[in-house]
Amino acid sequence: MKTASMIRNSDHDFLTRVKESEQDKFAQKAIASAQDAQWVKREGARQELGNWEDWRNLGEQIRQHVVRYLPDYLEEFSDNVEKNGGHVFFAQTDVEARDFIVELAKKKQAKHVMKSKSMVTTEIGIDKALLEIPGLDLLETDLAEFILQEDDWDEPTHLVFPAIHKNRDQVREVFIKKLGYEGDNDPQHLARFARKVLRERFLKNDFCITGCNFAIADNGWINLDTNEGNADLCMAIPKTQVVVMGMERLVPTLKEAETMDNMLARSAVGQKITTYCTFTNRKTADETDGPEDFYVVILDNGRSNALGTDFEPILQCIRCASCLNVCPIYRHIGGHGYGSIYPGPVGSVLSPVLEGNYDDFADLPYACSVCAACSATCPVKIPLHKLLVKHREIMMDDLHQSQLIEDAVMRVVGLGTGHPSLFRPALGVAHTGTSVIAKKNPQNVKNLYEDGKHLSWMPFVFGGWTKERDFPDPPAHKDGFRKWYKTHKPVEADPKVAAHTAQRQQEIKAEKAKRGEAQHD
Amino acid sequence: MTDREVFLNNLATKSGRARHQLADNPLVPVNDLPETTLSGKSQDELLEIARKNSEGVHVTFQTTTKAELPATLNAFIKAKLVDMKDDPYQADDHNHLLLPTSDLYADFGLESWKQGLTDPAPTYWKPDASREENIQTAEHAGAAIAFADYLLAESGTITAATTPGQGRTFHFLPVHYLAIVRKSRILPRSRQAMDRYDPMLKSGELVTSNINFITGPSNTGDIEMVLVVGVHGPLDMNYLVVEDM
Repeated sequence: MKTASMIRNSDHDFLTRVKESEQDKFAQKAIASAQDAQWVKREGARQELGNWEDWRNLGEQIRQHVVRYLPDYLEEFSDNVEKNGGHVFFAQTDVEARDFIVELAKKKQAKHVMKSKSMVTTEIGIDKALLEIPGLDLLETDLAEFILQEDDWDEPTHLVFPAIHKNRDQVREVFIKKLGYEGDNDPQHLARFARKVLRERFLKNDFCITGCNFAIADNGWINLDTNEGNADLCMAIPKTQVVVMGMERLVPTLKEAETMDNMLARSAVGQKITTYCTFTNRKTADETDGPEDFYVVILDNGRSNALGTDFEPILQCIRCASCLNVCPIYRHIGGHGYGSIYPGPVGSVLSPVLEGNYDDFADLPYACSVCAACSATCPVKIPLHKLLVKHREIMMDDLHQSQLIEDAVMRVVGLGTGHPSLFRPALGVAHTGTSVIAKKNPQNVKNLYEDGKHLSWMPFVFGGWTKERDFPDPPAHKDGFRKWYKTHKPVEADPKVAAHTAQRQQEIKAEKAKRGEAQHD
Repeated sequence: MTDREVFLNNLATKSGRARHQLADNPLVPVNDLPETTLSGKSQDELLEIARKNSEGVHVTFQTTTKAELPATLNAFIKAKLVDMKDDPYQADDHNHLLLPTSDLYADFGLESWKQGLTDPAPTYWKPDASREENIQTAEHAGAAIAFADYLLAESGTITAATTPGQGRTFHFLPVHYLAIVRKSRILPRSRQAMDRYDPMLKSGELVTSNINFITGPSNTGDIEMVLVVGVHGPLDMNYLVVEDM
C-alpha cells in the first residue's frame, strides 16, 4: 500500500542530494558541531540519572507493550477523548487526515491558524493544503519552523533542530527580506524580534494544530513537550485545537508519559525534562482559556505496514533524534541528503516502511555503515542497524531489487564462488590480470604505501571505492596466496625466542598461583 | 474518514494478534526506577537539590518564611515593575501586575498584602471573565505571581494545574514570572507529582484540563544552537519557596 506520499521532500536522486549536501560546508560544520555538543549533553544527562541501561529496558518495555496491544490502547484512548467531550478521527492515509483538517478549518471559518512543530503534520502536508484556503493565514510557531516558513518553506533537516543548516546571517537576511528586520545577526536580537512578530499573531489565533508527544490511554489527555512554550500558547488561545498523532504515540497512563518524557528530554537535548512539559485536554466548563473544540486525528499512513513484521520495533520510536546525533552518515550528508522528512537512521528505516515499497527510498538502507551507534543510543532500544540490514535483505533476496548493477555483479560472483571448478581458475586469472599493476617488491605492511604505488582512480563500479579510498597495488609474487601456501612449510621458531616465551609463561603461571587465581591453561 | 472499527481491525489483522487481550496482559514494569530514583531524601535535602537544579536552568531561586513572604513579593514587584518603568516591554503597555483568583492567599497569609497593593494596582485572572478579557489581562502583565502545586527537585520544575482562577496563558504571556510553592510540596521527581495528580483527577478531587510542568524560562537553541531565553514565554523565571508552612 503506497500511502505516505508527502514524506519525500526532494526530487533529486540520492547521489545528487549527497553531492549537494557535501557542497554546503556551513551545514556540514553545523551538524558536526551539533553532534559533538549533543554528545556531551546527552551522555552527561544520562550518566547523572544513573542506571541508564535499566531505564532503556523500561522504555523499551513500555513502548513494546503499547505496540503489541495497539488496537486496545487506541480504543481506550479514543473512548476517553470522547468522554471528555472531544472528537477522534481515524485516518488511514495522509490524504484522509489532510482533507479532514482542511474541511474543519473551512467549517470553523478559521482565519488565523497556528501550528506547533510536529513531524506528523509535516508528514501529511497540512501547511500547503491550508494555505490554499482563501483568506486563511498560517503560522509556524516554533522559532526554527518559523524561520523555514519565512524562507519560502525551506525543508527542515533535523527532527529536533529543523533549521540547523542555517547560520545567523542567513536568518537575518530572511528577517530583513520578509519582516522588515533592521537589527544585527545576534541570535538574541533575532529571537526577540521573532518574539514580537509571533506574539502579535498568537493573540489573533482562532484555530491551532499541534502534534502529540504521547497520548494517554486511560484518561484521553495528550502530552506535549517544548522548550519554547509555543505549543502551550497555540493550545491556550484559540477555541479549536486539532491534535495530529501517529497511531503509535500512546502510553497507558500519566505515569508512563512522565517516564517517557524524562527519557525523551535526556536523549533529545540532554535536559532532564523539557522547559514546558504539558498534559492537556479539552478545557473544562469553568476554565477560561483552552480549546472548546478538541479534535484528535489518529494517523496510520503506512505505519501498520510494520505490524507483525521485522520492522515492528520502529513503532517504538519517540522521535528523540539521538540516532541522528550519533550517526556518521547523517554527519556527512545532513538531513537534506536523505530526501525524506524523516532523516538519519530512523528515517532510513521508517521511510520505506511508511511508503510500503522501495520506490523512493531504496538508497537509504544502503546509506549506512552498520556501525550500530544508532542502536546503542536509542532510548527505547530499537535495533536500527539490524532493521537497515533487513531492508537490504528484503530488497535483494525477496524483491530481487538491485542497486545499480550490483545485483548482476553479485550473481556472477555467486556463480563463480559456488563452483570450485570455476573458482580456482578465476583466482589464477585475477592474480595474473592484476600483475600489470603489481608492486615490484614483495608486499608487506611497511612498503604498502612507502615503497609502492596505489591507485587513486579505477573505472566502472570500482570507482565508488577509489572515490573515498586508495587502492593498494597488489603484491608482486609470482604465485597467488593459495598456491604459495601449499608450497611453503611453516618457519621454525627462533630457539632463543621460544625459550624466552616458555620461561615467561612459567613465570606468569607462578604469579597466578601465588594470587590464588584459577589456571585455565 | 475511516471507521474506527475498520481501522482497529486492520491493525489486529496485520499484527496477527487478536483485539481485546490487554485486560489479561496489563503492563507490569520491569523495574521501579521512576519511583526509587532520588527517593528517601529529607525535605531539607530536597530543597538544596531543587535549588541547585533550578539555578542550573536559569531560575532565580529564593526561600522565605510565611512572615517574610509579603516583603519578598514586594521586592519582586519593585525589581520587575516599579524600578523598570523605562523597560521597553513596560513602555509597550506590558506594565500590569497579574495575580490569580485563589483561596490560597489566606493559607499563605497574604490577604492583607493583596489588599494593600497599589503600585501598581494588581489585575486578576477572573473565573467569570471572558476568554478575551483574561487573555488580554495576561498579555498586558509586566509580571505575574502564581501559586504552584509542586516543585520537583531533580529537574527544578514547578507544576501547576489550570484552575478557573489561574488559567493556561497566565503562565505564558507575562514578561516576568514568579511561582510561590511551599517547602512541604517539594517532591523528588515528576513521578511523585504524577502519583498525586493521577488519583486526584480520577477521583474528581482535582477538576482541570491542563497541567503545566515548567522548568525555567522559555528558551530556544534554534539559531546556531545558541541558547536564547524568552522567545515565547516569560523572559525570566523566579521560584519562591516558603519554608515554615
